[in-house]
Amino acid sequence: MNLISIAGLCVRFPTRSECIRAVDTIDLEIARGDHVALIGESGCGKTVLGMAVMGLLPENARIRGTVRYRERDLLLAGEPDMQRIRGKEIAMIMQNSANSLNPVIPVGSQVAEPLMIHGILPAEAAYKEAIRLLAAMGFNLPERAAGRYPHEFSGGMRERILVAIALACQPDIVIADEPTSGLDAQVKSQILHLIKKQMADRTLLLITHDMGAAHFLCTRIAVMYAGEIVEEGPTHDILSLPMHPYTQGLLASLPSAGLHPIPGMSPSPAHLPDGCRFCSRCPSATARCSTEHPPVNVRGSRRVRCFHYD
Amino acid sequence: MQSRKMILWVSVAVLCAYFAIALCAPLLSPYGPTEIVGNPFQSPGNGHPLGTNDLGQDIFSQLVYGARITLLFGFCAALLSVLISTSVGIVIGYYGGLPDEIVSRLIDVFMPVPMFPLLIVLTAFFSPGVLQISILMGILGSIYGIRIIRSQVLSLAQTSFVEGARAIGASDFHIMFRHILPNVMPVVMVKFVSSSQRLLLMGVGLSFIGLWDTTTVDWGTMIQNSYSSGGMSLGLWWWLLPPGIAVIGISLALAMIGYSFEEKFNPRVGVNRL
Repeated sequence: MNLISIAGLCVRFPTRSECIRAVDTIDLEIARGDHVALIGESGCGKTVLGMAVMGLLPENARIRGTVRYRERDLLLAGEPDMQRIRGKEIAMIMQNSANSLNPVIPVGSQVAEPLMIHGILPAEAAYKEAIRLLAAMGFNLPERAAGRYPHEFSGGMRERILVAIALACQPDIVIADEPTSGLDAQVKSQILHLIKKQMADRTLLLITHDMGAAHFLCTRIAVMYAGEIVEEGPTHDILSLPMHPYTQGLLASLPSAGLHPIPGMSPSPAHLPDGCRFCSRCPSATARCSTEHPPVNVRGSRRVRCFHYD
Repeated sequence: MQSRKMILWVSVAVLCAYFAIALCAPLLSPYGPTEIVGNPFQSPGNGHPLGTNDLGQDIFSQLVYGARITLLFGFCAALLSVLISTSVGIVIGYYGGLPDEIVSRLIDVFMPVPMFPLLIVLTAFFSPGVLQISILMGILGSIYGIRIIRSQVLSLAQTSFVEGARAIGASDFHIMFRHILPNVMPVVMVKFVSSSQRLLLMGVGLSFIGLWDTTTVDWGTMIQNSYSSGGMSLGLWWWLLPPGIAVIGISLALAMIGYSFEEKFNPRVGVNRL
């Protein structure tokens, strides 16, 4: 049973002169307990996709498609319904831990806040629960940590606090948007281990550009390029045998594979080509690729949007 | 660094001393402020530590009781102005829209009007008492503060912790009170100290001009009396100097505290102001 199924999701931002197609016909199924990574370069629309699921897109976004969660469409749910769901059933670990915490409130109260707002626990019990959560996040002296202010913590510790806030209400699904950006390698691995441990019996949608993090945390990977999912499948299969030329390029550009960058630039989301969106950078592009948009081809447990796998 | 800390503590001590004097006025002063207790123009000494004025009132007692009135209107007005500017600034900055537009335009109208002349005109019209003057000064003094607080709130309303709280359904009251207010508190504190100095001086100025009830004794009326009764030309220094020095002392102390607060809360302000 799928916990969340996204079907035909399109997000557009019309401006005065053009239309930004940030996310285009995305289909993605996430089963209970699944850990899915959404991988792609900056600006490919992965964060917009996460925000669309949470119903947090700005007013000017034009959204189409369905996001089905527990027999209901989140895109049709009203704001009060979404407020009840956010944090309690679907939580988010935000990008940029420096700005996500209120600088003048002790972190314990900030961890306790969602519990109080959702009416799960009264103030005092919520604070106790916050201390317990901080302890679970690996703080040695959680009572003391709870009384401190965000600036007294390092980036890695702030990230732990954000994880604690996201998990406070025991959500079913956690959407983690670049949880390790801006952290050094060692702290990053600590945070990834922490997330892996905490996500053991939860569903995770990881939004990242970090292959290593996706490999470590996730059972499935969806690769996004220019607003589309170009390839999707089990982590191991994708990493060992990438099918889409973009995924191949992405893996070849990793430091461990010799840092071979993909030539060219990804197309502007306002002027997407008619054919395959990767065609101008693709080493194996054919004439057909530049005129026809490739459909999704299913190969066993994998899906790939490329003519070479017809 | 060390000397700046010293200045802060000395200023705080001076301020505390003023408050202590105002609170313990009946214990400290030998006579009542309006009692006629001796010959006019007596020089200091002889049971009158600072001499007497033209009516034979004890100047030391007037000085001590005057502290009550002067501090009362200074701090009442500052408190009121900070309360108004914080609450109005947070509400219009957070909600925006038409109320924000109306208040902002009103502020634009009142900003260029110099406050002191406006106060003179208003007090001349209404001839109010000490409390009403404080309220008037509080309202007029809040205009600039509303703008400052509003601009802070505008940027705070965009932060991810405010958006996050809104996303999970926190009430507007919760967001304004728990998230935004603590963030503007440093500005509010600085504003409170600096406007208490400004408004206190303004109040002394008003009472010096003699635009309110001249029977209440405060430092402004004392200076005014000494000035208009020829205290200066007669060389009666003990009449003019004590209230003058008292005013200078407290406004210096408040200014120094204000600067230290500003440096503490906003390290980017220049350090060379002291």
